[in-house]
Amino acid sequence: MKINTWFGVLEISRTGEIIESELFSKDSQELACHSLALRENIPNLLPVKFDLKAAAIDCRFVASPSEYYSLLHEVTLKTAKLQVSGALTPDQRIIQAVEALDDINGHVNSLSERLSEWYGIYFPESGLGGEALAIFVAYYGSPKNIESENPLYSKTINSMGAELEAADELLLKGFAESVYSLYERKRQIETYIEDSMGSISPNLKLIAGSILGARLISIAGSLEKLAAFPSSTIQVIGASKALFKHLRARAPSPKHGIIYSHHLVNTAPWWVRGKISRALAGKLSLAARLDYYSGEKDPSLVEKFEIKVRQIKASNPKPPQRTQVNETKTKKKGRSKCLK
Amino acid sequence: MPEINKLYDGVYEVVKDKKHLATRNIDFGKVVYGEKLITFEGVEYRIWDPHRSKLGAMILKKFNISIKEDFKIIYLGAASGTTVSHVSDIVSSGAVYAVEFAPRSMRDLIGLASRRKNIYPILADARKPDSYAHLVEPVDLIFQDVAQPNQVEIATRNAARFLKRDGNLLLSIKARSIDTVVNPKKIFTNELRKLEQTLEPKFEIICVKNLMPYHEDHLGVLAKLRS
Repeated sequence: MKINTWFGVLEISRTGEIIESELFSKDSQELACHSLALRENIPNLLPVKFDLKAAAIDCRFVASPSEYYSLLHEVTLKTAKLQVSGALTPDQRIIQAVEALDDINGHVNSLSERLSEWYGIYFPESGLGGEALAIFVAYYGSPKNIESENPLYSKTINSMGAELEAADELLLKGFAESVYSLYERKRQIETYIEDSMGSISPNLKLIAGSILGARLISIAGSLEKLAAFPSSTIQVIGASKALFKHLRARAPSPKHGIIYSHHLVNTAPWWVRGKISRALAGKLSLAARLDYYSGEKDPSLVEKFEIKVRQIKASNPKPPQRTQVNETKTKKKGRSKCLK
Repeated sequence: MPEINKLYDGVYEVVKDKKHLATRNIDFGKVVYGEKLITFEGVEYRIWDPHRSKLGAMILKKFNISIKEDFKIIYLGAASGTTVSHVSDIVSSGAVYAVEFAPRSMRDLIGLASRRKNIYPILADARKPDSYAHLVEPVDLIFQDVAQPNQVEIATRNAARFLKRDGNLLLSIKARSIDTVVNPKKIFTNELRKLEQTLEPKFEIICVKNLMPYHEDHLGVLAKLRS
């Protein structure tokens, strides 16, 4: 019986004695490659509880147990390194990008608020916020530096703002520049996601839009996993808290998770939102499967979805009647939004 | 002045202010995950947090686990290697075959394994023991901490291939990853029945304890092959 081990191919008898052996060279890189190949397809499987170390010493691959272990250590380490470096798939890059985007979104908002509070001491009348304020402060610094042609100039004349000293001005300008650069970075990441979603997951991009599509991939863990999800799962991705509450207690089932951010869902009247979410989730799972398994773009998917939405809206033109008191109660429960 | 009490082979109780679980550090001066080091009479002890380790919790729950220093162990679900590092301390002249499926965790584990010569990192699916059969010798202990619905089946499958006749199986059964809805007690009885009766090879359960207060909805199980 032939068996494959990490150090070579052995021919063993029924009783487990080695009859013949074809050993690999002791080069750990080469051994790691052999080991990798053995993981994919497994011909000539070892008998259970086969003593590899004893066999390696018997056929004189190594002279001692300590040599066996140190070589095996090197080989497993190298193999794992090879596997880790080969594990990067394009969807992993998108996941990092979309998570960085969410981080930036969170931070840029709080930093913008800080800037607006801070600069508000010196020029409360500006009426600017967010990125516009960041650009303004980074460019002008003190409101005194505004030229007379600028429409904001008139507001500086009777400003109730305090005097901005040079040291504070320098600080604020630097802070505003940082905030502005975050907005820049955000746009850069958005373009990146836009581009890579087009090549990796064109159908998902077409139906969900690139950012929502990327978030779905990110929460699922990979495009492969997303493609394996049933559409009912896709429908409630991001609403896990509400979903488990529903499964454990008597809470209503969530109608939508992060797909709520899709424009056809969040603009729909409340009584068809669940139906549209379900239709969308169905098409999204089709799209993810197309993207993962064939990669071809299928524009008909979007058309079908839009037709479906029109049908849903046409057949449910009015909100359902509330006749009984009991029903009203359950309806109210069911209407609560279930985002994460 | 700390006081050192030996609990099991390689596992100590260090009393300094309060009681700590600890192992002797084989990688002198190095910290793995931010744990405390206490040196006493030239020996460095690494504090082992039972809240972060199922095995640590099992030891404090008085599971009679004796891990000799030359034991060969398969650790299924090695993750980033926090517990693996303590196991590697205990089996200072043995071997830990650390199986982990996630490349992200494997990154940390490789860092650990390159400094500790008795850890053999294996990036593979624990559900398919055949895929690492060409690397792993028969072992004295299989420890499993994977969050999989069929984790008991995974454990027995590995035991069938690698566990020595007199070897032990240590499981941490996580109710929440088997079924989120059903009462954990029901799940535990069901899983134990699988281990004892349904699956091959059959096991004899030596010790079963809930891992509260260290881990919620986790059951620690020590079992051996039925002879």
